[in-house]
Amino acid sequence: MTHRRDGGNWGSWGDLLLTSVFIAVVSLALFWMAAFTLWWQMHAWRTPEVLASTRFSSPDGDEHVSFSLLLPARHEQAVLDHTIQRLLESTHTDFEIIVIVGHDDPETAAVANSAAERDPRVRVVVDTHEKKNKPKAMNTALPHCRGDVVGVFDAEDQVHPELLAHVDHAFRTTGADVVQGGVQLINFHSSWYSLRNCLEYFFWFRSRLHLHAQKGFIPLGGNTVFVRTDTLREADGWDPNCLAEDCDLGVRLSSVGKKVVVAYDSDMVTREETPGSLMSLLKQRTRWNQGFLQVYRKKDWKQLPGFGQRLLARYTLMTPFLQAFSGVIIPLNAAVALFLDVPVGIAFLTFLPLVTAAVTFVFEVVGLHDFGKQYGLRVRAVHYLKLVVGGPFYQVLLAGAAIRAVWREQRGRNDWELTSHVGAHLTETAVIREDVPA
Amino acid sequence: MTSTLPAVTTTVPAQRQPAPETGSAGRTTPPSRLRSSHSDLLLCGLLLVAILVVQGWNIADYPTLSDDEGTYLAQAWAVQQGTGLAHYTYWYDHPPLGWIQIALLTWIPAHFSPGSMTVGTMRLAMLVISAISAILVYVLARRLSLPRWAAGLGMLLFGLSPLSVILQREIFLDNIAVMWMLLAFCAAASPSRHLWHHFGAGLAAAASVLTKETMVVILPALLVTMWRHGHRDTRKFALTGAITACALIGFSYPLFALLKGELLPGSGHVSLWDGLKYQMTRPGSGFILDQGTGSFGVLHSWLYYDRVLPLGGLAGALLLLVTWRWSVTARSLAGPALTVAILAAVAMRPGGYLPAMYVIGALPFLALVLAGGTASVAHAVLRRWRHEGERRYVTGGRYALAAVLAVAAGAYVVPHWYDGDHTAVTADANAPYRAASKWLSTEVKDPKDTRVLVDDALWLDLVHAGYRPGLGVIWFYKADLDPAVTKTMPHGWKDIDYVVASPTVRRDAVDLPNVKAAIQHSTPVATFGTGADRIEIRQIQRETVGAE
Repeated sequence: MTHRRDGGNWGSWGDLLLTSVFIAVVSLALFWMAAFTLWWQMHAWRTPEVLASTRFSSPDGDEHVSFSLLLPARHEQAVLDHTIQRLLESTHTDFEIIVIVGHDDPETAAVANSAAERDPRVRVVVDTHEKKNKPKAMNTALPHCRGDVVGVFDAEDQVHPELLAHVDHAFRTTGADVVQGGVQLINFHSSWYSLRNCLEYFFWFRSRLHLHAQKGFIPLGGNTVFVRTDTLREADGWDPNCLAEDCDLGVRLSSVGKKVVVAYDSDMVTREETPGSLMSLLKQRTRWNQGFLQVYRKKDWKQLPGFGQRLLARYTLMTPFLQAFSGVIIPLNAAVALFLDVPVGIAFLTFLPLVTAAVTFVFEVVGLHDFGKQYGLRVRAVHYLKLVVGGPFYQVLLAGAAIRAVWREQRGRNDWELTSHVGAHLTETAVIREDVPA
Repeated sequence: MTSTLPAVTTTVPAQRQPAPETGSAGRTTPPSRLRSSHSDLLLCGLLLVAILVVQGWNIADYPTLSDDEGTYLAQAWAVQQGTGLAHYTYWYDHPPLGWIQIALLTWIPAHFSPGSMTVGTMRLAMLVISAISAILVYVLARRLSLPRWAAGLGMLLFGLSPLSVILQREIFLDNIAVMWMLLAFCAAASPSRHLWHHFGAGLAAAASVLTKETMVVILPALLVTMWRHGHRDTRKFALTGAITACALIGFSYPLFALLKGELLPGSGHVSLWDGLKYQMTRPGSGFILDQGTGSFGVLHSWLYYDRVLPLGGLAGALLLLVTWRWSVTARSLAGPALTVAILAAVAMRPGGYLPAMYVIGALPFLALVLAGGTASVAHAVLRRWRHEGERRYVTGGRYALAAVLAVAAGAYVVPHWYDGDHTAVTADANAPYRAASKWLSTEVKDPKDTRVLVDDALWLDLVHAGYRPGLGVIWFYKADLDPAVTKTMPHGWKDIDYVVASPTVRRDAVDLPNVKAAIQHSTPVATFGTGADRIEIRQIQRETVGAE
């Protein structure tokens, strides 16, 4: 009836105990990590009221806020004009577009200048920094901004004409210092990783970011972000040495108690495309991770008043590395449980992280369905299949990017790795540009 | 973390819009937090006290100790002892979660007073379950938009029907499973329509099924409740979340078997597969409406204790299902009504096996549906077609009619229930058991080396009296069915010293050769009680065999 191990062999018994405790601790840590991530990822869908509150409310027709829209462009002569024209179609009546071009980039400058000649709302600022990056470019333009609010877009963004009116309304009705609009990758059908990439954006902008806004700690996105000009000047603009200057700005502003509002409407998001190759996705992700790591080390988040807020900050900025760690350890852990002779109870614990992983998978499948519905896109069975099968591989990619980021940061390599984009939503191809961290 | 409202910090989500209502709103919307409603708390508290008094008083002595109670409590004892999931080989007869919970529930008293771990005493633990279930019935009724009085009526029906009083006193897995299922329904009908409440409903439902596997048939009704209480925009996440949660927890049972290497049948070990096969191929007890079948007998034993709740509830369920189109109450009670309908349909299947405790799963839903039906009738009498300028005598007539109906119902129900509950709080059905336990504890000289066949209800008493658990004091049927026990009895009945012939043992001995032989080759040395309910302690007569 009772099973007892043969006595006398204390050494192996001790080993077993050690293994069991180790497995239990790792499993529980992984479980809680995954559970919290899942909890936050599903924030927007917690109740119908929360979901309703994540949207822009309809503008009342009144317009009081003036905008300066920054459009940093580097070797983007192919798409820039289209983007400017679309921005000019905006229904809002009071805005200027400041195109920032490099002094060493005459092609883009030519496109920008010709647009400026055609429409007085367009102005061109030349960035003369020897080594160029996006924060430096935007800082160059900041003194030239005349509007109450500075907005940031990328040269290949498709911006909804009514977005500015909605943002104006949001500023006026909420008294916000910062408004973050939604950004959405759309081309989920391009490849297995773009499917996952799109869904990452969907969960991030649709859901998780709202939780951050609510909790008072928010890493901002790289575009469709609007900041009151005086707030931005007070904060000395963007950090030119940070690889995730957008995240950094959000962390600095929210750490000193600025009010950030996030709004997501599927027809109001800025549409983008995923990186054109797996390698460029890896590079892009490496840069974000490295940026997150830099923001973590800058310690601005330590000014946050609440302990919970600081914990959330710590956790969020460390996420890429925790992700890398868990991606490796979850399968290892399960294998240990299956092949080593551990007690049934302990073996059970090792399945806990798999349980949360399974729940996450299911919610991702439902999320993909919702994504299709929201954007009127046809999601086929094969896409669901790709989503599930691609999951572990994407984990490997994320883990690779995280490890690469740590390695680069250790080696002091913090130059910008450029990500090349295929203009899938435009006709022109092969534009080199710096990408937008989410 | 759980707050759905924005923290009062500098940052809140942009705009807060009320989500549009779906059609589930009843005419009496319950307060968003029952906890802060004094009248709800007071009513629920008073009813709870009444229920606990009636259920708790005389709990050890009535009804008769059942063999199954002994089984589960003994297995809970084994869990507490750390000897595994049972003191005999666990053979996947039921998922073990039920008696693991009993073990947890009785852990503290059993720790301080090991001798209290007997069926009679530990029925007190079931009061905790009954109390939680009764409160959940009230909460669920309010969440399903029943008016306060109807919620109270539901709780009363659930807690004080003589049938409930008797069955809820017993240590049955079904009672615990019902508690979990009620919790699942309450979470499914959460007024905040919270994703994680629905997820929790899935978890609770899985706990219910793992406590008593028959609860699985109720899951569709739970899903309907969740659907009705979900919101268009978030429903797909809530429902898939709940289903996933339920399935994942449910899979832990086969996973447990897999980890123990007992998922599939093989030689030399038990398996989940065999356990399932046994449950699915149990000989049927006949069609419930065929006189003379076992199922018919079970039905009658229920109706003997109470007709109002089972029949009234069934009628209420039919009424609600028929008036679905017109009645708000019917729509809001769709879940419980469907549960009753499903359970009734399952009970009606010809050739199925109908255990006596089957009705336990239906009790809270019968009560809710009966209360809802009453509320529906009350609404029809008092409010339907009533307009602003209704003449006073018509309104008076409405109230008079309502009063007449209420008095008539009371006149029918109260005397019946008074009789039933009076028996429950006064009768002593277990004197023979107690006497037999005392005799075996005091009159047998060397319990340590004495081997006794007993029914499960007495087993723990004898363990406390010093008999060796498992092979000294033996669940009578193990002497025929468990190879681990039979191999210690090479000479069959001759290796036994006593057999305690309780009604259960006598009934089942027909199919158990060793037990039958033990009874045949023994003579009563002490008899307690009379007639069919008597308990005989029979000593095996070895020498007579030699003489023959």
